[in-house]
Amino acid sequence: MTVVEANSEYDLEEDRVRLRAGRCPDCGAVFCPTGTVCAACGHRGLDEILLAPTATVYTYTRVHQSTPDFQAPYDLVYADFPENVRVMLPALGEGYPVIGEQVDIVLAPGPRVKDGQLIDMPHARTAAERSEHDG
Amino acid sequence: MDDVYVLGAGMTPFGKHPDRTAADLGAAAVLEALDDAGVALADIEAAWVGSVFQGMAMGQRALGDGGISGIPITNVENACSSGSTAIWDAAMSIRAGVYEVVIALGVEHLTGQFRGAFTPDESDIEAQRGLTMPSVYAMRAQRHFAEFGTTTEQLAAIASKNKRNAALNPLAQFKKPVTVEEVLASRMIADPLHLQECAPVSDGASAVVLVSKAKRDQLGRGRAIRLAASVLKSGRKEVGLPEMTFEDLTHRAAEEAYAVSGIGPEEIRFAEVHDCFSIAEALRVEGLGLFPRGEYPARVVKGEADLDGRLPVNGSGGLLGKGHPLGATGVAQVVEVVRQLRGEAGDRQIPGAKVGLAHCRGGKAQGVEGTACTVNILTV
Ligand SMILES: [Zn+2]
Repeated sequence: MTVVEANSEYDLEEDRVRLRAGRCPDCGAVFCPTGTVCAACGHRGLDEILLAPTATVYTYTRVHQSTPDFQAPYDLVYADFPENVRVMLPALGEGYPVIGEQVDIVLAPGPRVKDGQLIDMPHARTAAERSEHDG
Repeated sequence: MDDVYVLGAGMTPFGKHPDRTAADLGAAAVLEALDDAGVALADIEAAWVGSVFQGMAMGQRALGDGGISGIPITNVENACSSGSTAIWDAAMSIRAGVYEVVIALGVEHLTGQFRGAFTPDESDIEAQRGLTMPSVYAMRAQRHFAEFGTTTEQLAAIASKNKRNAALNPLAQFKKPVTVEEVLASRMIADPLHLQECAPVSDGASAVVLVSKAKRDQLGRGRAIRLAASVLKSGRKEVGLPEMTFEDLTHRAAEEAYAVSGIGPEEIRFAEVHDCFSIAEALRVEGLGLFPRGEYPARVVKGEADLDGRLPVNGSGGLLGKGHPLGATGVAQVVEVVRQLRGEAGDRQIPGAKVGLAHCRGGKAQGVEGTACTVNILTV
């Protein structure tokens, strides 16, 4: 049993998550989450866009010790989206994420815990059948 | 623009001080710095006090306990760079000709306040998704591995070096050397970083008395150390896909410090840098231009950053060995550089040290690489 928290972070398209982001109407720079002013050119006001539901792993870690708000261990990645923006997400998959691999953005429970239950949140889904890292 | 000198330096032992308060630790560092400078309480014209988690008016509490009140006191919070930002503020006041004798204090008492990992502010989306401070650096380490062939053994060698240096520092939190094997055998925190590669939670305080050139001439030319550059920068909002293995923030602070002082990276004899994690030391010295990009971990294994190496890094033990009482850290780095330049560093003395650099870099906020970074260059 998991809980879906209402939020404005993403849209769901079937089983894929599309993260909300902001694109500068002037220079095209993309920010996720969106902001008030474009950090690249100073333009005020960003247009809302939805990021692609796939991205590429830039780097990763497996977190073994966290705060009481999270159920460790869990994996994290920085994922590069085709819109030229990088987003940190928890990762889902049997093995370690691999730098350069393609990931799907999906909704899945954890690693955040609230009232004893894992919270559904956007995840980067890595290749599921990869064997466990030995290091 | 007036020159700035460090005339006095003081710091408490770093470590666990469950029976002391932040105010009491701060006062002890202040009084030691005043005695070291040979100035009286009444000579101090203004004070800046850095701390992170100490609540309201830390400066007034610590300085009041140390006998200083009534003067302008400014409390500074700038993540792990809070103390070094206090130095930057204090130095600016002298450079601008406003004051001639001021004090910068850094203080933190964390024992009993925290368990587990530090995280960015919980309003950040990354923190809500599970980002901790160790995991930020773990991900930068994984990328360093992929780009430069860095290994977990090389990172462990950085931690081992700093703990070895700390064993020579009577004020350090960790008193005994730790081998590479022991680092690798310690508990995994965020892969590839082990417990021994993460700075500890610490209590402590450190203070420096800064004076103008005229005051230096009047009070004690012999022991004064020149603050040739004091630079503060903040992290730029990231656009696009920045490289996480190169520190734009550290690089920009360093470039300005080299330009202001006229001292280039090739003239730096030793450095104290912000090694909150083993990989952090590599990212710092590479960003500072002290070692070629991607090569630092391998060069540590060869001994180049040892106390008797080409360019000793964190001879004090650094954050990993000496301890990391957040607000006190940046000031303590400058205290160490001053003691090295005066030849007062005891068993860890670097022979003939004439130019040293202190680098302090703190925090993580959504969309920026780091929150604040200071670079101080000091010379005899
Ligand atoms: Zn723009």
